[in-house]
Amino acid sequence: MKFELSADQALLRDATRDFLTSELPLEKTRTVMEHGADGYEASAWRSLADMGYIGLALPPDVGGQGLGTIELAIVLEEMGRVCMPGPFLDAVLAASLLTAGGEKALAADVVAAKSLVTIAHQDAPFAGTNATATTFTGGRVRGTKYFVPFAAKTDALLVTTPQGVVLVRAPYDVVPLETFDLGQRFGEVKLDHPGTLVGGPEILERVDLLAAVGASAMMLGIMSRALELTLEYVQTRQAFKRPIGAFQALQHRMADMLLKAESTRSAVYRAAWCLDTSDPQTALVCATAKAYAGDAARLVCGEAIQMHGGIGFTWELDLHFYFKRAKTLEQFYGATEVQLEKALVAAGY
Amino acid sequence: MDLQLSETHLKFRDQLRAWLEANMGRPWREELRDPNATEDSLIELRRAWQRKLYEAGYLGIDWPVEGGGRGATEVEKSIFEAELARADAPPILNTLGIGLLGPALIHHGSEAQRRRFLPPMLSGDEIWCQGFSEPGAGSDLASLRTSAVIDGDDFVLNGQKIWTTFGPWADWIFVLARTDQKDRYGGISFILAKLDTPGITVRPLRQITGESEFGEVFFEDARVPRENLVGRIGEGWRIAMTVLAFERGALSLAAAERYGRDLRLLAGTCKEIGRESAAVREKLGRLLVETEVLRANGLRMLANLADGKVPGPESSIEKVFWSEFDKRFRESALDILGPGGQLVRQSAEARHDVDWAREFLWSRAGTIYSGSSEVQRNIISKRVLNLPQEGR
Repeated sequence: MKFELSADQALLRDATRDFLTSELPLEKTRTVMEHGADGYEASAWRSLADMGYIGLALPPDVGGQGLGTIELAIVLEEMGRVCMPGPFLDAVLAASLLTAGGEKALAADVVAAKSLVTIAHQDAPFAGTNATATTFTGGRVRGTKYFVPFAAKTDALLVTTPQGVVLVRAPYDVVPLETFDLGQRFGEVKLDHPGTLVGGPEILERVDLLAAVGASAMMLGIMSRALELTLEYVQTRQAFKRPIGAFQALQHRMADMLLKAESTRSAVYRAAWCLDTSDPQTALVCATAKAYAGDAARLVCGEAIQMHGGIGFTWELDLHFYFKRAKTLEQFYGATEVQLEKALVAAGY
Repeated sequence: MDLQLSETHLKFRDQLRAWLEANMGRPWREELRDPNATEDSLIELRRAWQRKLYEAGYLGIDWPVEGGGRGATEVEKSIFEAELARADAPPILNTLGIGLLGPALIHHGSEAQRRRFLPPMLSGDEIWCQGFSEPGAGSDLASLRTSAVIDGDDFVLNGQKIWTTFGPWADWIFVLARTDQKDRYGGISFILAKLDTPGITVRPLRQITGESEFGEVFFEDARVPRENLVGRIGEGWRIAMTVLAFERGALSLAAAERYGRDLRLLAGTCKEIGRESAAVREKLGRLLVETEVLRANGLRMLANLADGKVPGPESSIEKVFWSEFDKRFRESALDILGPGGQLVRQSAEARHDVDWAREFLWSRAGTIYSGSSEVQRNIISKRVLNLPQEGR
């Protein structure tokens, strides 16, 4: 038994951290997020593909590196630390779904960043809205999908329907859905298009688990970095002639932030390990990790803003990107409400 | 990363499971609800169960063989705790002796003390209680005032200990006493005293559950032989602090087993009584989430132990997690069950699977004993986050 990363995994973490902190620090990416139409830079996206990141956990026959979910979690955690914008997780999930559905050529294109495909999942703009499912009949997909990740940049969509997952190739009209998270771009897509069935609804099972772990890993990086930034700040910021970090009122809350972040770490890597070893508890463990990480990330990032005081509420400081990104990751990739029910079902309750 | 138990540990676990299957009587929750059970009968049941475990070689698992232990590691000890929780085994009687004093004697005691005290501690023939807290010294333990003055071959003890768990049933007490009034930490010594010594009085204290599991101990010119000093004069604080660190291990695993079981029973009850609204399911779901995260923390701790990593102050994170979660768990259970959750065990209408009323009340204790949540958060702030001392 061993919880620590192996030497290779630690090397992957360090190399990824070096790359991301030098190439994609927030001081650079925030400009792209604020002023770029796509929210991310094409050149940076290509270098991620060139370095093999998109196909990290995919098999070699689609151009992947054949590594595991643990390695993917390591990379996503690092991406969370720099609050990286862009469709990385969405592309990984789509490539994984394409691979599972035998669409290997397109999967390989996604891995190589020659094409962008994302999963069009959401049937309604608000949770609980009486949704009309998008359907697939007679070779055509009909319906409206909301919050499709980076829809405007995609070459194809994987559309979920009660009949299964259907591949729809561009062109389709995209109405942008602008949210407060500038690292993510969403679109509303009205579909009445021909499509190809990639697989039945069951094909989503493993991808949903991967989405839960992936989003949780990114939230782990987000909250770990938000805590670090807060720890730095409270040691320098002086009030009443001492660093504010000397006040127990803040110390105890930071202790709770650490508790949340470290417990998320235990949960995320256990979930990744379960996926890689096909553990019988995988469904339960992935759902609980995602539900926990969502609450924890919101709490930690929120406390980080509070402890920074006025500056914490400014656009200038980076923290709001972390706070917003965390909220997106919490509400998508299986929202907390969904994960709670999945966990209960997995446990047989 | 590998969270699978090694072959050796799996074998240990499977043998233990088989042994429990063959040797354990009724689950603890059934013993508790037995209408004929009394506080005394339950004590004797726990003593007999402890002896059985001892005779099978399952106590003092991580102690050296010379000390009467099994000579295994904290990994086996953690697996043992988790398996007993899983089986809902009765708790042993001498938890404080085996959990705290045993390691103190193994690391700081004399050969004669080890020979004298360890075997009856393990067998359950001598039950120990812990004399640390005082009316004026709780979280600020070093301000304790119970004094020990050398007089010939004896220490003469004066003072009062309080919140002494097992005090009412114990045979012996290990006491932190002041041997030097001026030296705050270096003036404390670690002394063993037999509770029937003239001048020592134990008085039970009634707890919010109605039980008297703890008490107070008064020392009035009680004479204790000098050979009962553990370590050297003035070494008591250091011994106490290292010993408290032995209260660790992957405790979260055992806790997750207990919550997992209680949650299963609670979910079953919900089905049975038709409590399946979205609000109830959300509560159940949230309890399930934290139970699994607790288990993940436990697995991580266990893996680190197996990997040869000595747990440090992060065990404070573990303590805050389970004790704070315990309160949320028990509160949610009562919310879900409604007023029936308050019914005392003896009531014919009470649920027979879990004593929800008692658990609800007990959950207020965990964040106070063994270092309150506030003390644990201080430890995390200072030793893990390296934040400055307050007020500087």
